[in-house]
Amino acid sequence: MERVRATAVTRDQRFEAEALPHMRSLYGTAYRMTRNAHDAEDLVQETFLRAYRAFDGFRPGSNIRAWLYTILHRVRTDAFRRSQRSPRTVELANDGPPVPPPQDALAQGGEDLTRALASIPDVFRNAVVLRDVEDFTYQEIARILDVPIGTVMSRIHRGRALLRAALGGRKP
Amino acid sequence: MSCDPERVTGFVDDALPAGERAELETHLAECPTCREQAEFESGLRSRLRGLAPIEMPPHLTRAVQRRLRPAPRRWLAVALPAAAALVLALLWLRAAPPFVAWELARDHTSCFGKSQLPAKVWGSDPGQIADWFGGDGMQIPVVPDSAGSAALLGARYCPLIDRMVAHLYYSGDDVNLSLFVVPGSVRMGASHKAQAMGQTVHLLRVGGTVVGVVSASEEAVEAVERALTRTVARLDTGR
Repeated sequence: MERVRATAVTRDQRFEAEALPHMRSLYGTAYRMTRNAHDAEDLVQETFLRAYRAFDGFRPGSNIRAWLYTILHRVRTDAFRRSQRSPRTVELANDGPPVPPPQDALAQGGEDLTRALASIPDVFRNAVVLRDVEDFTYQEIARILDVPIGTVMSRIHRGRALLRAALGGRKP
Repeated sequence: MSCDPERVTGFVDDALPAGERAELETHLAECPTCREQAEFESGLRSRLRGLAPIEMPPHLTRAVQRRLRPAPRRWLAVALPAAAALVLALLWLRAAPPFVAWELARDHTSCFGKSQLPAKVWGSDPGQIADWFGGDGMQIPVVPDSAGSAALLGARYCPLIDRMVAHLYYSGDDVNLSLFVVPGSVRMGASHKAQAMGQTVHLLRVGGTVVGVVSASEEAVEAVERALTRTVARLDTGR
């Protein structure tokens, strides 16, 4: 009995020490994915809940940050499936100006970029955010999004081209 | 090589194999369009890296921690031992003679308080009554057909908190009496005497089975007790 409790405490403590510090960056990505604070919070909470339940299957010493992002994207994909909307069927055209978070607007010259980022389709934005904001490698992004590396490269390429167009550059 | 914009992206991200990388470097040196794309993407990358981080709501950490260790668990930590203690207490109580005596007295009062006795089998022949119970596999000791002025009238099953008991009704001149055959364990020696709800209750062991005798009249209870011990008190295993 005592030993069981001790193990449970250790597991909880390990999870808190290893996983919770990534909450801030996960929230940032969740916010960029959902484009609103409420959905981002739900997404982060669900991600940590699922990660907590699956933590026994997590190999200590492997990349917990990439593991958490994998869960984040899976939760997001499941939510999309549930709402019968697939990220792949999102309108490619700009659907009105999204509201940028205020702290981005304060960043020097960040407002246009944030706006542009929010305006491109999820599937490309997610790839660009994972690469350029969160600095994951192609291999890590391929695992997170569960797609081949070639697809990762193609999505990042297309995402950057769309950003360029949104920023007022030449047409991609 | 011809222009391959996707590979330029891979080049910017340092994601190309060494051979392809060298090849693309050569291409970039001679293709201003691809060079311009690479420069744009590098610049875009550093701008995106430089975006101010999105501020997390301060309550989110607590909210997540609360969901990881939800209150029901803490509640269970108290409730489970409490429930276990309650079950143990009931198990202990069910076999305690004063509790059994109280239950029998309550049942006796309730049955004789009705306008008509709720018997399921009527008769003054102890053998017939024993047969009726024996049909369900309930073995009862040989009981007297009368004691003092009280004579056997009938019987039925009666539910206690955790078991069914055989309830035999005796009645005579202003005397009502119940004889209960109580299966299962009762924590007592050869006998236990109690007063409960204005009734005299005697519990005694008859051939390994606990029998309870209940009446407002202590004399009647003692008369049945004497009759029981006079009768060959044995388990009617033949049925």
